[in-house]
Amino acid sequence: MKNAAVIFKKEIKEVIRNKNIWMPILIITAIFSIVMPLVLILGSGSILKDEDTINFINKMFGQVGDPLKVLIGFALKQLLIFLLILPAMVPSLIAPSSVIMEKENNTLEPLLATPIKTSELLLGKSLTAMVPAFVISTINFIILIIVVDTAAFIKLGYAPLPTVEWVIVAFLLSPILSFILTMASIIVSSKSTDIRAAQGIGSVIILPIYLVIGLQLAGFFLLNITYLLIGCLILLVICPLVLRLAIKIFNRENILTRWKMKA
Amino acid sequence: MITVENLTKKFETITAVENISFNINESEIFGFLGPNGAGKTTTIRMLSTLISQTSGKMTIDNRSPESDGEYIRSIIGLLTESPGMYEKISAYDNLDYYSSFYSISNTIRKNNIKKYLKMFDLWDRKDDLAGTYSKGMKQKLALSRALIHKPKILFLDEPTAGLDPESAHMVRNFIESLKKEKTTVFLCTHNLEEASNLSDRVCIIKRKIIRIATLSELQSDDKNKRVEIVFTDDADRYIKLMEEIDEIKNIQTDKNKATLVIGKPEISNPIIIKKLVDSGAGVLYFNEIKATLEEIYLDLIKDKEAK
Repeated sequence: MKNAAVIFKKEIKEVIRNKNIWMPILIITAIFSIVMPLVLILGSGSILKDEDTINFINKMFGQVGDPLKVLIGFALKQLLIFLLILPAMVPSLIAPSSVIMEKENNTLEPLLATPIKTSELLLGKSLTAMVPAFVISTINFIILIIVVDTAAFIKLGYAPLPTVEWVIVAFLLSPILSFILTMASIIVSSKSTDIRAAQGIGSVIILPIYLVIGLQLAGFFLLNITYLLIGCLILLVICPLVLRLAIKIFNRENILTRWKMKA
Repeated sequence: MITVENLTKKFETITAVENISFNINESEIFGFLGPNGAGKTTTIRMLSTLISQTSGKMTIDNRSPESDGEYIRSIIGLLTESPGMYEKISAYDNLDYYSSFYSISNTIRKNNIKKYLKMFDLWDRKDDLAGTYSKGMKQKLALSRALIHKPKILFLDEPTAGLDPESAHMVRNFIESLKKEKTTVFLCTHNLEEASNLSDRVCIIKRKIIRIATLSELQSDDKNKRVEIVFTDDADRYIKLMEEIDEIKNIQTDKNKATLVIGKPEISNPIIIKKLVDSGAGVLYFNEIKATLEEIYLDLIKDKEAK
């Protein structure tokens, strides 16, 4: 554990200094946690002037008392999924660079020649991706709540968040998802020839989240506590599988001889 | 300290190292020589437990890499051919980071970092980012990294590559001094003069081992012995006379010097000297010319290629 902590301490400093990691995160936070909720909530009044929108709400939710409340409730269900984008995106930004840069800079071989265990190296690298993902997600969650509640209070006179669904997503589903995507990124990094390939594949891994967003927007289902808990259970089953695969693939010989060598 | 028996490493269809065997004693400097792609780096990687062998056995400090990899890595130091450093952190922090993985106290760790940074003239720039270092400085920093935990066995892959002559001289003296500290050194180098000056024994490899011997054994095995005769006057005057001596295979002259390729010296030399003196030649000196490691190496590699 001590060696994993040494790796984490050094790597996290590099992550904090790396603008290439922070800039996309800041942009996404600004869009999904500030701009989008403000537009959705503050602009919902004008949307409801449109007859087609009223018809859509009536068709989807039946005859409702206050269409504005229903529309904001629907918007919050969408924002709930956006909460998963950062925990999915951060590991795929950090893990491949944390692993492949070692190889590209020729620092990995001397590191592997120390008494460090491969499991400690894997843990250190994983924490470097998962801890920022969790911290950023939590900050994002807090910002979203403040923005949504403030805007909703101005518009409707009440603060709708946090709900149980939001707490499940932020503190259960997000960490599980971060773990799976971190392991997946490390597996992909172990097999990739260079950092761009690893990050490209990493971005494909988060496609299922966009699929859930799309399906919900298309009206196939609406996320509720039951769906979210089922999702958590499915992902929890996947966790030990990806961990086992990552440990199997992330071994000294694999990462030294199968990765692209820098001339 | 190191025993290797019939070690083979295959990468899919390519055999990098085939059936190599050798022993290295404690505090020995073992020169490991061969052309590019001969299997030197693969051998170092197997010995430092980074990759496993396809077949064969090896022990390091009487331990097997399969069961005691962690122990082995704790007693070895490795300088790789292209040593990389974390460019965005200081030289001091680089050494501090790598040394954190060894079981040494903080005080010893800090003392060792200071010792080696001072020894390699890097102490004044210890807080500079490693990325701002020149190639030679990085090489010295990498050497410090390999030494920071006082390893029992040191694997050095081209230790003086990229160093200026003064630094290279200092590193060579340092490698030599490691013998006194009972450190075993496995030295891979293309600098044959360096190998010849430092190594107790050399191993010449090209996928398979071609020869393991001391320099003097290699020289005494050399089929073409050479002697140099310095005359009191022009050597060309004696060419005809020397050509009549059957024991001389080849003659080259330069002013008052003649270099002769001969057969067995114990038979040839008395005959040559007697004939020259009897015919009145003014012989000032008669010296044996020992083949350099470079000449022997090139001959052995050429022979191997011819086979």
